[in-house]
Amino acid sequence: MVDSSALTKKFQKELNAGIASLVLLSVLDNSDEPMYGYQIAKLLDDYSGDVSFMKQGALYPVLRQLEDSGLLESKVEPSVSGPPRRYYEITAGGRETLVTWQGIWKQMKSFVDKAVKGA
Amino acid sequence: MIKSIEEYLDQLKIELKDSDAASVQDALADAEEHLRAALANLKQEQPDRSEEEALSQVIEQYGSPDETASAYREVERRTFPGLARGIPVQQNSAIKRFLGVYDDPKAWGALLYMLISMITGVVYFTWAVTGLSLSISFAIFIFGLLFAVFFTVSLRGLALLEGRIVEGLLGVRMPRRTTFLQKDMTWLESLKTNLTDKKVWLSILYFLLQMPLGVIYFTVIVTSFTLSVSLMAAPLVQSITDFPLLMIGGMRYFLPAWSTPLFLLLGFLIWTITMHLGRWIGSLHGKYAKMFLVTD
Repeated sequence: MVDSSALTKKFQKELNAGIASLVLLSVLDNSDEPMYGYQIAKLLDDYSGDVSFMKQGALYPVLRQLEDSGLLESKVEPSVSGPPRRYYEITAGGRETLVTWQGIWKQMKSFVDKAVKGA
Repeated sequence: MIKSIEEYLDQLKIELKDSDAASVQDALADAEEHLRAALANLKQEQPDRSEEEALSQVIEQYGSPDETASAYREVERRTFPGLARGIPVQQNSAIKRFLGVYDDPKAWGALLYMLISMITGVVYFTWAVTGLSLSISFAIFIFGLLFAVFFTVSLRGLALLEGRIVEGLLGVRMPRRTTFLQKDMTWLESLKTNLTDKKVWLSILYFLLQMPLGVIYFTVIVTSFTLSVSLMAAPLVQSITDFPLLMIGGMRYFLPAWSTPLFLLLGFLIWTITMHLGRWIGSLHGKYAKMFLVTD
């Protein structure tokens, strides 16, 4: 018997691993102002509707990794309520990289669609 | 069932107990920022919800402590601190290993760290001593307490800065966020927490020790650099100018020509050994900085 739900979970996780970076970079590229983690998570929730693709907590380590590789930069600002917030912003290098990534994504999407449909 | 954000953070800490202390600190900061913001937002939207229900919904969206922990572990596995990136190649021959130090960014980073640690050490020392003594002597005034709060907060910033320098130059993973102060506390309470916080005192101690250490590091590097350069330069200088190695009374002593390669070799050896020493001191200092500046 195949443990379908565990395998599906693993499949989802592996898919997310690459896509999360693309999604986060794109969100920050589309935004006019720096955004903090919860804001991004909320926006992504609106996009995904009722289906939840990834846990919000999984976004933060990816944001941090993108920052470490220089694609994002961040600053901490105090908030009126609660702990200070870390605002993320895309860098020039991040924009450049994003263009390449979006190109790859487009090709990948049509390739996968074809493979799935069997056209 | 998790009843409070503090409980969530405690569980997350337990889940991450095998991870690097610095990434635990980052994960806790991220989680606390998110959960508080999300909870406040949810309460505003649906004020009639019970605290517990709201929290469980927020956690459901954020991920349980073990899910969050695994997300951090996954990313941490893929990211290495700056210079730790290169996996040391096992060289078989002793000479290759000995000379390989020139190819090792950690050795160069450590030397650079030792050079600048005198300057940063003086700054840290001055700040720590000034802050401590002003805090104590101002304590008889009301505003003295405010000053003490300011001073302890500034220590967190300095500790983060030193951590970034240590990670950049010594390749030891250090925190990328400052630690959070507990929210909704009066400044008097926050002063009390700071004064009883082991970490604050450890960082003061670190900053005080950083000046003597920095002076020692700087002296070691500059001395051996000068020694090795002058050993290597002596035969060359002598061949261009007629400046002798030694002059005693009217006697001028020159190096014999056959000793030129020996002097070059000796100078080179001394500098190479210094690089090895620097790399070793760098790795020790990294461990020591982590012990003093990172909360466990």
